[in-house]
Amino acid sequence: MKNARIFFTKDGACKYISHLDTNRVMLRAIGKSRLDIWHTEGFHQHAYITFALPLSLGFASTCESMDFRLLDDNADMTAIPDRLNACLPAGIRVLRCADAKYKPADIDSASYEVRIEPMTDKDISIEELYNRLNTFLAQPEIPVEKKTKKGKKTVDLKAYLLDFSTDFDKTVNMKLRLPAGPVLNINPSLLVGAFETYCGTELYSDMTRTGVFTKEGRHFE
Amino acid sequence: MYPKEIEKYLLKVQKPGRYVGGELGEVIKDKHDVDVRFAFCFPDTYEIGMSHLGIKILYSLFNEKPYIWCERVFAPWIDMEAEMRAHDIPLYALESGDPLTEFDFIGFTLQYELSFTNILNMLSLGGIPVLSKDRHDLNHIVVAGGPCACNPEPITDFIDIFFLGDGEDVDLEVIELYRACKREGKSREEFLRMAAQISGVYVPSLYDVSYRDDGTIAAVTPRDGAPAKIEKRVILDMDSCYYPENFVLPNIEIVHDRAVMEIFRGCIRGCRFCQAGFLYRPVREKSIDRINEECHALCRNTGYDEVSLSSLSSSDYTQVVPLLRKLNSWAKPEKVSLSLPSLRVDGFSDDILNEVKTVRKSGLTFAPEAGSQRLRDAINKNVYEDELINTCRVAFEGGYTSVKLYFMIGLPTETLDDVAAIAGLAKKILDTYYSIENRPKGKSPRVTLSASSFVPKPFTPFQWEPQDSMDILREKQKHIKDSITSKKISLSKVTYNYHDTDTSFLEAVFARGDRKLNKAMLLAHERGMRFDSWSDCFSLQNWLDVFEECGIDPAFYANRRRDFDEILPWDHLDYGVTKEFLKRECERAYASQPSPNCRENCMNCGMKKYGGGVCYEKR
Repeated sequence: MKNARIFFTKDGACKYISHLDTNRVMLRAIGKSRLDIWHTEGFHQHAYITFALPLSLGFASTCESMDFRLLDDNADMTAIPDRLNACLPAGIRVLRCADAKYKPADIDSASYEVRIEPMTDKDISIEELYNRLNTFLAQPEIPVEKKTKKGKKTVDLKAYLLDFSTDFDKTVNMKLRLPAGPVLNINPSLLVGAFETYCGTELYSDMTRTGVFTKEGRHFE
Repeated sequence: MYPKEIEKYLLKVQKPGRYVGGELGEVIKDKHDVDVRFAFCFPDTYEIGMSHLGIKILYSLFNEKPYIWCERVFAPWIDMEAEMRAHDIPLYALESGDPLTEFDFIGFTLQYELSFTNILNMLSLGGIPVLSKDRHDLNHIVVAGGPCACNPEPITDFIDIFFLGDGEDVDLEVIELYRACKREGKSREEFLRMAAQISGVYVPSLYDVSYRDDGTIAAVTPRDGAPAKIEKRVILDMDSCYYPENFVLPNIEIVHDRAVMEIFRGCIRGCRFCQAGFLYRPVREKSIDRINEECHALCRNTGYDEVSLSSLSSSDYTQVVPLLRKLNSWAKPEKVSLSLPSLRVDGFSDDILNEVKTVRKSGLTFAPEAGSQRLRDAINKNVYEDELINTCRVAFEGGYTSVKLYFMIGLPTETLDDVAAIAGLAKKILDTYYSIENRPKGKSPRVTLSASSFVPKPFTPFQWEPQDSMDILREKQKHIKDSITSKKISLSKVTYNYHDTDTSFLEAVFARGDRKLNKAMLLAHERGMRFDSWSDCFSLQNWLDVFEECGIDPAFYANRRRDFDEILPWDHLDYGVTKEFLKRECERAYASQPSPNCRENCMNCGMKKYGGGVCYEKR
């Protein structure tokens, strides 16, 4: 038996699959692919899979990962992406399969690309929105209310913005990196929500997770 | 692919995965390569519609034809409907994202009466005129099939064509005819007239209905050569009947998220309250080999690890245990579990239990339907108290501690004693538990009773019967509660929900309604009423207001006893069972006399004329 980790993208219609449903889609794909992987041994036996970092509903991603155990020590990992892709909806594509290099607990931050636009052209121009975003981000503090298990608390997002850059084309675009992982997780929608309040107009944002990193700043592999 | 403009609204609604398609197994074609585009509409949410077997069968069947592209459409939930209406987004099909106006056929499945308003709402959301008379060209043909097509009279103003009986053959014949008419430049009217000549096709606009002063029907008169009686279609050889080898696999959780294998159509029992038991006669079984082959392929193709063997009464499959053993020869090693829904009290055996998945050792569900033996005989349930007690004993000895029992109240001939007997039966089951020496220790037993309100349906021996008034039904619910003597016996929430009597009343109005109800349906739609089967949306008062404004007395449909010789709104539709037979069965019910099932003794229901199925089985 050996551990394996697949890396996959999630996009298009599959952005709207919740984390729980992603688990279900993956289990069925494994069943259909007939990959020989370890199953739990309880009353209801099922393939054992785990996800390093859940992805919010509505987010696209280029860097998702999922772990499982191959029963055959000599199984050919290079064949696994094609076998799974044949069993998955088009919006989920497995890019590669490899040994798990880091533990999910090593995850420390994640990077995102966010495309922001007003709900209608009449609300605000893209250029104006871009300028406001820059002023918003230039504030010394960006306090927001974050819901935690213990209730609401106010956090300063500015302190968590590890790095960021902005530009605009048809939309206002922001690249940013935020804490992620088991200890502290900051969802970029918190920042967009705060920006929306700041602008006083409803915004639509298209979010993509583009990278997951370890404490040392290495790509999570 | 969903229309790009909805992305802005998707994250504002619950479960956006309902509205985007993109599942494994969806069929994408180039619209320029096909002659006929068919929008298969399920008048309820995605999770319910995607669980329905009929849509899976017809979707695959249609799409196997290179010249048809069949797509799926579901009713958007109220939050999504609000976004669509606010931003002028027409109802679209999940595969192409194209609005309903791009389709040749808009087909609905009629699974329950309370989904009728959703049909009108979906048409209007899709930009299709809701009234047939406002649709003129040879496109946007609105068709409907399914069990409620057996009395489609309340929605005849909206639907162009109804399909009666098994859809696999007749649907394709009508699509073929449409294709030919299109090629030859025929008009919509010419197409409809020609379609009416196909067996199993009911074109309601070709029939005139006249009424007597008392509101009952005087005559139903066909026009333009339409047949006086429209006969349902029956597929006799289930082994040669089309069955899909793959399903569209939903990306979000649906109600029945598993593989489904149909093992037979019809039911031998003839329970007198059960419409399906008469509509789908005669019983036609699939062979073990065919089921085995199709079932294995389906599990391999879908990746599901659970398969449900579907029928109206699974334990009535003639070789159920050999079938289960054969399936398990591959299912067990491949970690696929089998489930057998619709088990009868008398069909529950150790042999079956050893082969099927027993979810948890806690809940067992049976449907005795009536509390007293007298009433069970009257409704022809043919379940005996000692069988039920024995089955429960076996279950308790096997480690089960709770039993759920389904009953109906308001059944014809029912007295308050029959109602009290429901609680009495529960007590006997509880006593059985305590009489067992090796009963499960440390756990308290639980008997849960669920009592829903009976709705008389067309093509059953009770089609002439009045439904109990809502007051009487509530009184009977209370009487069950008052008759319960132990704290270990409880009533399910459904039973204590006043809603149940309200929705059952409306269901009773539509189930046996006539064409006069079209007016109420349209007004209800104009007032924004839909999702009547959902407590979030249903309001009886809103309906009573609509009926009053239309000058309709709903009790005329729900609570009136019909004479045997009254012309019923569905008398021009022929489902094989004769009126004479239904009358005989009704009289036997009055005498509390059960009838043998199809395999014991033929009661001459009329099905022999089809020349196959259980009527001609070797015994």
